[in-house]
Amino acid sequence: MTTTLDRRSFLAATASGLAVAPALRAFAQGGLPMTPEPGAWKPTTCQGCTSWCATQIYVENGRATKVRGNPNSKVNGIHTCVRSHLSLQQVYDPDRIKVPMKRTNPKKGRGEDPGFVPIGWDEALDHIADSILDLRRNNETHKYVLWRGRYSYLRDIIYKNMTQIIGSPNGISHSAICAEAEKFGPFYTEGEWTYRQYDVANTNYVLLWGADPIAANRQVSFYSSVWGDLLDRASVAVIDPRLSASASKADEWLAVKPGEDGALAVAIAHTILVEGLWNREFVGDFVDGVNRFIPGRDVKEEDFEEKFTHGLVKWWNLELKDRTIEWSAKITELPADRIRSVAIGFAKAAPRAISWVGGGPVMQVRGAYNSMAAHALNGLVGSVDNVGGTMKGNKKFMDEWPDYKPFMDTIAEEGVSHKKIDQRGTKAFPALNEGKSGGGVVTNRCADAILAADPYDVKVAIGYFNNFAFSCPQSERWHRALARIPTVVHITTHASEFTWFADIVLPAANHMYEKWGLCPAMAGGYTHITLNQPVIEPLWDVKIDETEVPWLIGAKLAEKGFPNLLDYLKEIKDPQTGATPTDEREFALYALKHTTRVLWDPEKHQGGDPFEGWEDLRSTGVWNSDPYPFRGRWGKMKTKTGRFEFYSETLKAALVGHAEKHETDVDDILETAEYLARGEQAFVPHYEQPKVWGSPDEYPLLFVDYKSRLNREGRSANCTWYQDFKDLDPGDERWDDVAKLNPVDGEKLGIASGDRIRIVSPTGELECTAKLWEGARPGTVAKCYGQGHWAYGRVAARSFGSVPRGGNNNDILPADYDRLSGSSAFYGITRVKVTKI
Amino acid sequence: MKPDQRISRREMLGATAASVAGGAVMMTGCSPAGERVASESLKGKKFAMVIDLQRCTGCGGCSLACKIENNTPDGVFWSNKLTQTYGTYPNVNFEYVPTLCNHCESAPCVQVCPTAAMHCADAGIVNHDSEICIGCKACAVACPYDAIYVNDEKPHAFWRDERSALNGMTSSAMEVTLRVNGRELPYYNGDRDRDTPGTAIRSKGVPEKCNFCLHRLRRGQLPACVEACPCNARIFGDLNDPNSAVSRLLGRYRPSRLKEHLGTSPKVFYIRSYNRGAYESTKGTV
Repeated sequence: MTTTLDRRSFLAATASGLAVAPALRAFAQGGLPMTPEPGAWKPTTCQGCTSWCATQIYVENGRATKVRGNPNSKVNGIHTCVRSHLSLQQVYDPDRIKVPMKRTNPKKGRGEDPGFVPIGWDEALDHIADSILDLRRNNETHKYVLWRGRYSYLRDIIYKNMTQIIGSPNGISHSAICAEAEKFGPFYTEGEWTYRQYDVANTNYVLLWGADPIAANRQVSFYSSVWGDLLDRASVAVIDPRLSASASKADEWLAVKPGEDGALAVAIAHTILVEGLWNREFVGDFVDGVNRFIPGRDVKEEDFEEKFTHGLVKWWNLELKDRTIEWSAKITELPADRIRSVAIGFAKAAPRAISWVGGGPVMQVRGAYNSMAAHALNGLVGSVDNVGGTMKGNKKFMDEWPDYKPFMDTIAEEGVSHKKIDQRGTKAFPALNEGKSGGGVVTNRCADAILAADPYDVKVAIGYFNNFAFSCPQSERWHRALARIPTVVHITTHASEFTWFADIVLPAANHMYEKWGLCPAMAGGYTHITLNQPVIEPLWDVKIDETEVPWLIGAKLAEKGFPNLLDYLKEIKDPQTGATPTDEREFALYALKHTTRVLWDPEKHQGGDPFEGWEDLRSTGVWNSDPYPFRGRWGKMKTKTGRFEFYSETLKAALVGHAEKHETDVDDILETAEYLARGEQAFVPHYEQPKVWGSPDEYPLLFVDYKSRLNREGRSANCTWYQDFKDLDPGDERWDDVAKLNPVDGEKLGIASGDRIRIVSPTGELECTAKLWEGARPGTVAKCYGQGHWAYGRVAARSFGSVPRGGNNNDILPADYDRLSGSSAFYGITRVKVTKI
Repeated sequence: MKPDQRISRREMLGATAASVAGGAVMMTGCSPAGERVASESLKGKKFAMVIDLQRCTGCGGCSLACKIENNTPDGVFWSNKLTQTYGTYPNVNFEYVPTLCNHCESAPCVQVCPTAAMHCADAGIVNHDSEICIGCKACAVACPYDAIYVNDEKPHAFWRDERSALNGMTSSAMEVTLRVNGRELPYYNGDRDRDTPGTAIRSKGVPEKCNFCLHRLRRGQLPACVEACPCNARIFGDLNDPNSAVSRLLGRYRPSRLKEHLGTSPKVFYIRSYNRGAYESTKGTV
């Protein structure tokens, strides 16, 4: 029972409660010395989303009670968003797995009870090591896969180095279900495969493409702290098919027809040129100063002299000259005058104008070109790398890991020579990360690859900090694929949907309270590197996924005659003493000290905050970079031309390279990868008609997926606070999962708020509650991702292991891709029908 | 349990017309003479909160921080909100107004309390004393802002559950609490008890509400919601100090208060607009 002294017992205990209580109060309040603070704030990192805020946890007698921002961070400082507080209910969630588990029911399926039984770490590791050694005996180590979900920057130990030493090419990240397409536009225009930071302190116009920075990824804490001031100074326009939190505070909300963002972006570019509002300092000008960008007319390249950009006239001639506002208005179903007003307002603020590209317009089939088009607007107005504009991350420093290659034997070397399991780099999946064919990941394709045994079958898979059986579109394929793998290991805090298909389950340390790690993040002109730290003793018999588990597997493999992994890990020593780690705990700490040495060792310091030593960094919790050097990249971008490319020579080289690899031409690649452009148009940002699943006759409504502001990446639905505060998402309801329809559509369909409904797409269906809401665009169904767990815990699921609470959007999203970036499509991808249950 | 109370925008904003300029209000309930428990550091102060709606992003960080600071159970929202979606697509918007106990100068809850359990404490804060409360709930009925909650049951039943999802492999809620030496909750915050014993968690039948985190104020700390607001949308301070941030803001922006026509004279003020945004100048048409 609890030890709480309730009111009744307190009164009884004090015999004459009324008389005694005031005396106690007088002691506490009457100016007598107060009790000292019972606890202390300890630094760590919140990875509830990829903002990766530096936080502090108040710990009292070993117990965590509060969360706040770490004032030492120049990125988020004292500010921390609503999600961070939910972490207390995650770490203390009774549904956390507390011991290793083993499956006893060999039959795997969504409706099958795995029959988990508790086992010891030794037995679990035996099973894992034996499975790996079987692969080695049969020279098929490539049939081992490591799936990485969320991670810290200690990730490479388990993801890359361990995988390679075992002998597999298959370190497969989650990145393609995150936002790789967001990086595509910046890379093929300015040579940076990265997210951006934005100089909101100095900007005068913010154009948000599906981004909702005061509610969802990224740097929500930072942007929340400055948004009120931003609104005083800057105009904000939001392009989003549903009324988002950011839209509710904006000057303009443009509820674009889902999937048609590209038509808006090129029309804005067209207008900027026709109106002569491009930034001359960055882009250049006509030789004679006369604007020849006249709708429908070609321009001679020699008439325009570019400065820091490349291919503006080509872009105009190939794409923009006919992309008028009137054309765009028909496609986007937005009023022409509103488009014009936004285009001109944005351009007149140049160069202090930000085109802020979120996931919505780009994580679509063919979204790569939307990413280029929307990002290219920053080039037109000269805001790239400029005050009041867009920035990449600041220079940051981490020490390299010791080379693992000497620890790979011939079996491993043969193993890693195989193709990766996710079909990246195949003709249909260029995945052109950083210009390389197959340079990027196609996370969600793994399920199909396994089901088709193409390129081969998988025999041993380890997943950590992931839940692809829930978080990947058309997740049912994952259920079937995982059921085919003889040994599935899941390193996880909770028994999630992925866990349901696991043979061995390893209980993971909570990333924010029980783990060593490090996370870089950027905002407001700074990058910080913030440490994940074990601020409390682990609650249960859990281990750290990225460090302790590889050590334990390495030790077990060594015990069974394969010492290479353990020998390699022992190369990572304590940089302070030179000591070799003797157990998993020491290894985890030494690994972090090793990779952060360049931050804390005064003799190795290369920039940013200086520290006196490891303990100084550890107790501070976070390192900050030097300030951002604006305009440092003008004229020396990492593109083929060194310039900002409106005609992307960089993309051309990548596409040609991919075509040559497959002995064909670029047009054939585009057709195979389901793009519509042919010829030169493929190398400029352009409009592609979206590929949308389902016919309008059968599926009359377009589905709009978006992320709840309470989502800790799909892992917080088991917190009662998540459910109790679900109405913080505009239009949503507490303890429910509602799909929002415009009242006009509700009337047509005979559906009222509160009705139970079934949403059916060409590939699946889900059940949830209807909500008629004016913030939903007519003709659409808008629904948060986050609910619909049938596992994960007893709050997240209506009945744990079987009945979901609400519906998972991934049950109706088809598995389809923006193949140039490898990204899964989440937005503008499918039509649905809605029926009352 | 109460859902968040929704009042119409008309009701809310119309009600504020009287505003501060409304002048004299009944001065009962929270006059200084009503203070019973003096803290030297708070003497002579009159605390108020200004909520800058332009800065507010409707994130609810205030409410989560409040919940954690004060160990309130699910369904109890000392820090709460009024939300409304108004207009018709495409001319539609969403508004979020954070709410909490208004610490009225003329507090109906104080006036109706038969035992003076609901009383005016330090610095004009409306506070509740569970020791002399008889649980009649008159305060909750009288509050025009639905800011007072009464637990129908012993709170935090979730954390008394002794069942587990996977026997021997996951824990029960109670097991977690006991393992970490929490009290009723694993993340139980004892700060209130250290200030005033017995106040950290309210029992069944006992009213509970915001008291501006009086236990924190006495230690020189801001209320938890103010400290936690990532937007700096909550500004706290002393109305008696003409140089305090709240005094300066109230003199600069014409504030509004909820249901001002009732004469309760709230000490939670709102400035600026949640839906900031420009529009093209027009005289309209006939």
